[in-house]
Amino acid sequence: MAGLSKRQARPLVFLPYFAFLAVFLVWPALYVFRSAFERSGAPRSPMIEAVTGQYRGRFVYSLQLSFASAAIGVLVGSLVAIAVVQLDSIRGVRSALVGYSSVAANMGGIPLAFAFLAAFGMQGLATRLLREINVDLVGWGFKITDFWGIVLVYLYFQIPLMTLILVPALDGLRRTWHEAAQSLGASAPQYWRLVAFPILLPALLGGFLLLVSNSFAAYATAFALSSGSSRLVPVQIRFFLQGETITGKTNLGYAMAAWMVLITALLVVGFQALVRRSERWRR
Amino acid sequence: MMSGRKLWWSVLVVVTVFYAIPMVAMTRFAFQRVPVIKLSWSNVFDKWTVAPIGETFADPNFRSSALLSIGLSVATAVLTVLLLVPTMALAHLRSPRVRRWIEVSAVLPFVVPAIALVVGFAGAFRGTAPLFIRNPYGMVPLLVITALPFTHRTIENGLSSIDLRTLVDASRSLGAGWNRTIWTVVAPNIRGSIATATFLAITVVLGEFTIASLLLKNTLPLYLAYAQGQNPQGAFAVGLVLTAISASLIGITNGIGRRSRR
Repeated sequence: MAGLSKRQARPLVFLPYFAFLAVFLVWPALYVFRSAFERSGAPRSPMIEAVTGQYRGRFVYSLQLSFASAAIGVLVGSLVAIAVVQLDSIRGVRSALVGYSSVAANMGGIPLAFAFLAAFGMQGLATRLLREINVDLVGWGFKITDFWGIVLVYLYFQIPLMTLILVPALDGLRRTWHEAAQSLGASAPQYWRLVAFPILLPALLGGFLLLVSNSFAAYATAFALSSGSSRLVPVQIRFFLQGETITGKTNLGYAMAAWMVLITALLVVGFQALVRRSERWRR
Repeated sequence: MMSGRKLWWSVLVVVTVFYAIPMVAMTRFAFQRVPVIKLSWSNVFDKWTVAPIGETFADPNFRSSALLSIGLSVATAVLTVLLLVPTMALAHLRSPRVRRWIEVSAVLPFVVPAIALVVGFAGAFRGTAPLFIRNPYGMVPLLVITALPFTHRTIENGLSSIDLRTLVDASRSLGAGWNRTIWTVVAPNIRGSIATATFLAITVVLGEFTIASLLLKNTLPLYLAYAQGQNPQGAFAVGLVLTAISASLIGITNGIGRRSRR
């Protein structure tokens, strides 16, 4: 009897976890989408309105920022990863760089904005030091709150994240493949171009997508840098939906949030597919 | 060959400088009472003080937001462990299919950015269960979900690294019930993973801004954003302390990971 009731209870033991996700993740997400399609008298669906007309620029700006910081992050982060693996024979290089990368990749939010204001703001330490060697950031019109300023700040977590993604992929390149290529007469550049690069490509592309979604969802840092006046999509959503204020555009805010979910979902699915592909070589 | 090594060294030097400068600048701004304009080689070591930290601690707003952040950290970590450990241990034992579902579901928070999650949460709960919006601890479930991709992975690694079935069979055959087996046999055997998951959850809570900001709850990051205008030195000092705490938690986590892999 006891055994029977236990067997029947089996699916129930998983219930709390899935119910929790249903209530606190799925329901809010569904609420966003339901509201995003509610027209409530407006001539066009909020989903259309959110990506056309005056709000289209927000998405363009957010995506440009994400792509720029991801592209530079992939490039520099990969160079650092290669350097770490190349200099692996020197003690401490790997553990120091990989260790700090795991810390820096998690940085963000308000403290990171503070750090970059202190360094590259108008009265920043780095701005001052660069002026000593006749590099006048302020004179060039560089502002930490502008597009390239925010890209620079985002690189602080984008570069280490890419390093963390690529180091294991580089470790997966077997020495025997290099030797095989060499014995067949390949030069070092040929080995990198024809053997290593194609194997690393899924990891590089997957890393790129992860970095794009990473900066696309970021909000706090840009918010603190610009004291709330940023042109990023999340800042606009906040404007439409903050607290109890009635802006008459709440559905538009939900529509922008829905588009963010759709774009992020696309990036995450792409990333997962590429990760599976890049792991094929590591069996 | 030598020039290749030099190239890689220069890459590491440049990136190290890039990593160091913002932290050095923040430290100097927080603890040295010399404006950048007046800074020169002659006064680099003048007027360093930790007073900004003390001034911030004297601010009652700081104390209440620090208490809230600590409370949220504890609540998030506890709820994470209570929710994940029994469910995942049972899935490991009984149902590879459920294990796979849990794995997929744990990535979902990556798909829903914090800003979308919190506006949906506020909209869905405002009419039905407003207590979750009003009470600052109502945001704990959202924090658990934000941390889920990281906490799930560590618990998963822990459960995969032990001989779960033997442990559970031994415990059950000695007459222990399920709860007792999970918390006195399984949990101590994956304590490294549980500690790691706890630290990761705390790191997420201490850095989280979007959710607290949209729900207007005065956590530490929100206090920082507010104090930036009132007492920038104090705000930067506390920001630095928060960064150091998160960094050491992640450092400890890495240490635990390395030790258990051995």
